[in-house]
Amino acid sequence: MASGSLTSPSGTEIAVIGAGVTGLSAALFLARDGAEVTVIERAEPWSEASGANAGTLSLQVKIIPVLALARYALDLWESLRGMGIETGFARPGGLRVATSDAQLSELRRYAERQANAGVKTEWLEGSALREFAPWLGAPVLAASFCPEDGFTSPLLTGASLAEAVRRAGARILTGSPVTSIEPRGEGYRVVLPAGELLCRKLVLAAGPWTAELGRMLGAKLPLYVDVNMLSVTEPAPPLIDRVVTHIGGVLSLKQHRNGTILIGGGWQGRGGFSPPRKEIDHERLLQNLKEAASVVPALRQLRLVRSWAGFEAVTADALPFLGRLAGHSHAYVSAGARGGFHLGLAQGRLLAQLIREGRTELPIEAFDPARLEGAGHRAAAP
Amino acid sequence: MRSVEIAVIGAGPAGLAATAEAVACGAKVTLIDDNRQPGGQYFRQISGEFRREAMTVFDKDQKRAEALLRIASHPAVDYMPETTVWALGADRILAYSGPRGSGRLSAGCLILCTGAHDRPVPFPGWTLPGVVTAGGLQNLVKEQRMLPGRRAVVAGNGPLLLVTAASLLRGGAHVAEVVEAAPIHRRLLPLLPALAASPNILRLALSYRALLMRHGVAMRSGETVIEALGEESLRAVRVAPIGEDGRIARDRARTIEADTLITGFGLRASAELYQILGCRLVYRAQRGGWLPQRNADLETSSADILAAGDGAAIGGVEFALLEGALAGLAAARRVGRTSGSEAREASLRRRLARMERFRLGLEALFHPPADYLQLITPDTLICRCEEVTAAALSPVSLGPAGSAFALKAATRIGMGRCQVRFCQATFASLIAARDGCPIEEVRLPRLRQPARLVRIGELLSEEIPDAVLPVDPHLPRGERIG
Repeated sequence: MASGSLTSPSGTEIAVIGAGVTGLSAALFLARDGAEVTVIERAEPWSEASGANAGTLSLQVKIIPVLALARYALDLWESLRGMGIETGFARPGGLRVATSDAQLSELRRYAERQANAGVKTEWLEGSALREFAPWLGAPVLAASFCPEDGFTSPLLTGASLAEAVRRAGARILTGSPVTSIEPRGEGYRVVLPAGELLCRKLVLAAGPWTAELGRMLGAKLPLYVDVNMLSVTEPAPPLIDRVVTHIGGVLSLKQHRNGTILIGGGWQGRGGFSPPRKEIDHERLLQNLKEAASVVPALRQLRLVRSWAGFEAVTADALPFLGRLAGHSHAYVSAGARGGFHLGLAQGRLLAQLIREGRTELPIEAFDPARLEGAGHRAAAP
Repeated sequence: MRSVEIAVIGAGPAGLAATAEAVACGAKVTLIDDNRQPGGQYFRQISGEFRREAMTVFDKDQKRAEALLRIASHPAVDYMPETTVWALGADRILAYSGPRGSGRLSAGCLILCTGAHDRPVPFPGWTLPGVVTAGGLQNLVKEQRMLPGRRAVVAGNGPLLLVTAASLLRGGAHVAEVVEAAPIHRRLLPLLPALAASPNILRLALSYRALLMRHGVAMRSGETVIEALGEESLRAVRVAPIGEDGRIARDRARTIEADTLITGFGLRASAELYQILGCRLVYRAQRGGWLPQRNADLETSSADILAAGDGAAIGGVEFALLEGALAGLAAARRVGRTSGSEAREASLRRRLARMERFRLGLEALFHPPADYLQLITPDTLICRCEEVTAAALSPVSLGPAGSAFALKAATRIGMGRCQVRFCQATFASLIAARDGCPIEEVRLPRLRQPARLVRIGELLSEEIPDAVLPVDPHLPRGERIG
């Protein structure tokens, strides 16, 4: 079933709220395991963060506490093709660059910490760096190369994943914003504009909307909503054969198979979550492009086709909320990781394991959704 | 950021008329245009490298063109050629870019005269070398005095076919046939009174018709091109009659040998800036699709942003000149320049009303007799930028009803270099067909900046303030919720 209205009341075994990467991943693995799943989507599948991010799948940019999750996720991304889900996945390896002496030292320290945690990178500078990546600009002083890094096309992934979820037997209700949720017997009653849905188990995987859903269930899930800008160029001949990131955290570059180059880095657009508004910030867009063109000078010759901005909901410690919701035995949450597109696929799968088997392949205790409940308001960093 | 009194985007007939009118009221105008020379499509000038001493710049309208073009060098006008307006935001702040520099400016009042281009209609072979749009041909002839081939078929729908055929004949090409889709021979008589509202245009059309007859060019109406044939380039054109019910009778198709096919299915407004800004649009099938909604002052749904000419109305050059002048007056008034323009405005409105009668007559005459989606076969390329054929659009890939996302992901329609200029109508038609709703109800996906492709190196010529980098890029920077 593609989408549809509800004859009230309607029932399902597991309701997953949110048809982004995490929600669809959870739905996919639950449904393939034989569960009866309904995905509830306020608008269209993939219409927010999952469809508006850079698709970077870089291991070396991740913070230590999520490294195992990130590596697990990378392998999962790679395995999707074998499951008949085309995502445009490629693993050309990633270069993380430094453009100042201070950054160079920081990059070296970061690479050492990563190596201790099991992520091997190759250190490149001078002529070795120029030989390895002749397209890098003079401002690049050094780079660490991680052969495990990859990327995917968020646009391709969304359509394929939604289709796979439907093929697995789950249904996706589109245009269905949740009005309220209340415990009902052993499960929950989810009220939607078209009627209500009764479920035995509930998964909250709605990005920034997760905070409000948590509130409906009496749980505090504090999130911060970044407005990340992205740009894409016209198709170009092969130019960048790696995923490029920056130790300053202000750049991501990759060239897709069709020749287009995606330019990101988390530069902030204008707007915010309440009310939802995401616009391009002219100055910061140009700063983003300037940074990109200093790292890869050939970008100056290319024309910009499109720029846009997307939400990214992030917790105060940048780790995901992943696990059972405090005070609820049948409600689960997965949201809020920095790099949530990369990690979300794995989070969805781990949540499916938790729901079906009561345990997960990887430890998720550090991601306990209740860990930040007591935290006061932290001033947002500049 | 620089503040200007009035900014006019586009130096075609409407933009030049608007500029002239505003300047006459004492206003200062910044006139931005992405061509090297002013004039737009109608008054397109022959480019320097193709110009010879003996050659006049224009075939016709020499006097009017010279008078209009002079305004670009008026001291009250800051004319910015080769400059693309690529973004437009709140408070009439626009971003421009080009080889002469990039930056932003804020305008007290903005007049958008963005013009129009050929309405793209995909049919088998429409991208074959030798197949040229009517607008493309006019540009070749006007700017470079060149013809694309020797033996041409002119086909499509609308008054531009006649103009195009005349251009070809005057340039020395052989025109095998003119194939007009609308049954104009049958429709003409009752519409003559309306068309007589503009005797000059009517006279011009008759002179073109006479030219065709002198050259023995057959003019068929009620038929449409259905296929362009050829391997490397065009060899022949297949045409077929359109029935009363709007169906194309492929079984009665015939073949015309030709090395050139000029197609013109009317014009489509360049509405990208309106879409980026989020102005309300209205759908007008007769006028090539989506146009900005405007009030009597030609103001869009965004305050102090006026729209004039083919980019807002699809009415042709005379209409554009009048609308441009009216918008120029309105803009001048809005920035406080009001030197006795009431009589002038009344006169413009009277002439515009007369042109409107003519326009309605013309639109009735050329009302499209068929849904051109019928021309699409499985092999037909529907997205030129991303090279997607209709066969790639299985019902599954079209996605669930109401979803533009799945269609975009499957087809990449609207994601390429053309910024939906080539594919929007097809895209919307496909959504409408899938969802079983009329095309005017299709919610167009939001268009993202830039309105036109801009070179990154050129964008970076703008002075860019130093960035404030995050202390820890992993930590969030946005608004707290929950």
